[in-house]
Amino acid sequence: MTTRPEVGAPRPWTFPKFERRNVAGGRMLTAHLPGRPLAVTSLVVDAGAVLEPSDQAGVSEIVARAMSEGAGGRNSYEFGVAGERIGATWRSSTDWDSLRVGFEVPTGELAAATQLLADAARSAVFSDDDVERVLDERIDEISLERSQPAVLAAEALAAALFQPESRYAYPDGGAPETLEALDPAAIRGYRDARLRKDAVTLVIVGDLEVVDLDALGRVVFDGWDGDRAALPAPVIAPRQPGRRVVVVDRPGSVQSVVMMGHDGPPRAVDDYVAMTTMALVLGGMFSSRLNMKLREEKGYAYGAFGGFDTRKHGGVFAARAAVQSEVTVPALEDMLAEIERVQREGITSEELEQARSYRAGVFPVNFAGVGSVAAGLGDVIVHGFADDHFDALRARILDVTLDEVNATASQRLHPDDLVTVVVGDASGFEKDLEALDLGSVEIIRDDQ
Amino acid sequence: MDTLAAVPSLPTYELTTHTLDNGLNVIISEDRLAPVVAVNVWYDVGSRHETPGRTGFAHLFEHLMFQGSANVARGEHFALVNAAGGTLNGTTWCDRTNYYETVPSHHLATALWLEADRMGGLLDALDQDNLDNQRDVVKNEKRQTRDNQPYGSALDLLHELAYPPGHPYHHSTIGSMQDLDAAELIDARNFYSTWYAPDNASLAIVGDVDAAEALELAKKYFGPIPSKGSFPEPPATDIAPRLGAEVRRTVEDRVPVPRSFVAYRTAPFGSAEYDAMQVAAAVLGGGRGSRLYKSLVLDQQLMQPGDAIVESWPFIGGATLTIADLPAREGVAIERLEAAYHDEVSRIVADLDDDELVRAKALLTSHWLHHLASVDGRADTFNQFATLLGDPRLVNDALPRVLAVTPAQVREVVADVMRPDNRVVLTFVPAVSDEQEAAA
Repeated sequence: MTTRPEVGAPRPWTFPKFERRNVAGGRMLTAHLPGRPLAVTSLVVDAGAVLEPSDQAGVSEIVARAMSEGAGGRNSYEFGVAGERIGATWRSSTDWDSLRVGFEVPTGELAAATQLLADAARSAVFSDDDVERVLDERIDEISLERSQPAVLAAEALAAALFQPESRYAYPDGGAPETLEALDPAAIRGYRDARLRKDAVTLVIVGDLEVVDLDALGRVVFDGWDGDRAALPAPVIAPRQPGRRVVVVDRPGSVQSVVMMGHDGPPRAVDDYVAMTTMALVLGGMFSSRLNMKLREEKGYAYGAFGGFDTRKHGGVFAARAAVQSEVTVPALEDMLAEIERVQREGITSEELEQARSYRAGVFPVNFAGVGSVAAGLGDVIVHGFADDHFDALRARILDVTLDEVNATASQRLHPDDLVTVVVGDASGFEKDLEALDLGSVEIIRDDQ
Repeated sequence: MDTLAAVPSLPTYELTTHTLDNGLNVIISEDRLAPVVAVNVWYDVGSRHETPGRTGFAHLFEHLMFQGSANVARGEHFALVNAAGGTLNGTTWCDRTNYYETVPSHHLATALWLEADRMGGLLDALDQDNLDNQRDVVKNEKRQTRDNQPYGSALDLLHELAYPPGHPYHHSTIGSMQDLDAAELIDARNFYSTWYAPDNASLAIVGDVDAAEALELAKKYFGPIPSKGSFPEPPATDIAPRLGAEVRRTVEDRVPVPRSFVAYRTAPFGSAEYDAMQVAAAVLGGGRGSRLYKSLVLDQQLMQPGDAIVESWPFIGGATLTIADLPAREGVAIERLEAAYHDEVSRIVADLDDDELVRAKALLTSHWLHHLASVDGRADTFNQFATLLGDPRLVNDALPRVLAVTPAQVREVVADVMRPDNRVVLTFVPAVSDEQEAAA
């Protein structure tokens, strides 16, 4: 059928209305989403990886995991069974700016799940045996992760972009080098210092029609005393500017994982919307410049991406692709050329229109479920967003002009400071790499 | 004790079904919770339907479906859906190929028009350049997900070891590099002409729509596409219900720790045995309260933790596989882990406590609710049941069937299926490098 469909009027959509309340001296954020059979009850804790001392990198993730290893008079196994018998699925995670733990659970079991969550936050056992096991499991898990070339590349890039005293120089989940130096007492000490009432917000999302939210808040906060000591500001310390190349040599690799990046601004910058719209066109959609060039035109890769990771205290710009080994150097040339071209010439008004309509349009798709709304509320807590944040953000996305986007392209992309990382069989590209104008080349041998 | 005590009241998913004059199956289900709609198309063709020398073809073809069609330029499919604020993709597995987009509901017509244009008009846009480009993309997908990944060959090897040569599941969906290289434009055109037609497809529309309006739109865009009328008989899937003897393979590879996969031949998706296996798998290896987690992760500390240690593939062709995934902890001999695993499995037949089913069923219930919570998850599941089992309404029976499984049936399925002469044991061990060998 040659005639394209007419597009009807959009149905009105706003981010689910959420409510802030204080119960028993603790903070809560709740959103009522009618009709959903499952609900989320979770704690968002101001204890992200960026606040860890560099020599304890990874300790927050250990704390998040150990919280479910026995609490409220139950041992690790009994705690697992207690949640699963009510159909509750435990989730824990740590990112740069928060530690999040909680359950997704059938709505009727929200109270029971919140009680288990309160136990995990306030009376988790953290026995020597359990904490040591969690620590050892995590170290093994990292060795599994590091056997993936994409993980090695991301680690090498972070280490090259920040100075060793910066927490950003290491993965947010930590590294065996720092984890091996931790012991259960140090982990309990970190938990006791950071997991305090004033660092915690209880988030509840679901069909809350008949739920007594104050009662859930009291379960978590009642009788919980003591605030945190003030924390020093995190050290960010980007490295010196200029180009350089880090190669992680893995003989026999059939692909090279290539990354190019530099340090970037934090979430709170004024040009956040313009900058991330520009990045969407460069590498954030299927029709982005990087994917069109490296995948759809050249067939070098299954996919190519790029964008800004904007954290609370800093950030990273990075582009990446896994390309077949023989085209490592041409792929790097293409990647660099696309970054330089956007920095120099900006994007077109057609590209802006597409990026804008995608970003604004996808809000209702992205925030249809309880899990994604709870994650959004977590971001409200972490970044201190206002009540109308998501709707205002959406309006701003629709407003952003080509001039604003192209100004940010020239300011926020730094082709002259790109660090290039290649994880692959160096014998195939080492010589040609020297000939590119990407800076000095350092080769590390992957001994795994 | 009432074994259903922990189960919440289950929602019934309302839907209507229609068959258009050209044979297209249409499923519509209203859900007004959010202003979004999922459009999902399943074609009844997957790698199971491929012929020898042409493995990987169904998947390569899936890529070509995004390269434009009669009225859609190359790259425009993604661009139009994205510009509408939608997300999209397509996937291929042994029994089917699916394509889907989730869009703000006022863009429903655009999504339907795009799917209809490539269902009826792909050949207008298919050319040698598209084929060559996407062949390279797929080869890089294979390198990225298989050849350059630790344990990346596990999937392909499980297919090879668990199904005899000649069986349609003997090869995995990604296919071989040689076959991908050999694919010619005429093969792609023939594949389309053979399998892609409204009478070999099912369309599901789930979300913020009026059912009558959605049906009119489906008729408007898909109605004019001619039916094909007949399709080749898929390759026979006849197979013995059990392996008959243990199959073992050890692979030296660039891996950090040893890891075993234990796969059992099991009755297909949709069977009573498959349902019983879901409960058995949850008792044994689903969640932190499962037997394997307690014994192998917590008590003996032989294995890395996992949320789902035992899972089944939902295949329908003769037999499917139930697979345990056992990554060893650093320094643990894989033989010791494997022996402890078999020990735990054999014990369940004798000492299963009825109460263990309460936890397993509560977990299976919330996982199912989670799976069906989104409109896209529901649309895909309706098409799965429509295409593989013949009726999307069976979605509403699926969980009650699992919840009706008895302790006796769990014991029986474990005893029948998870036995030494019905298993493939595929083990990866770290390769000893030349230098280490020289030093030793």
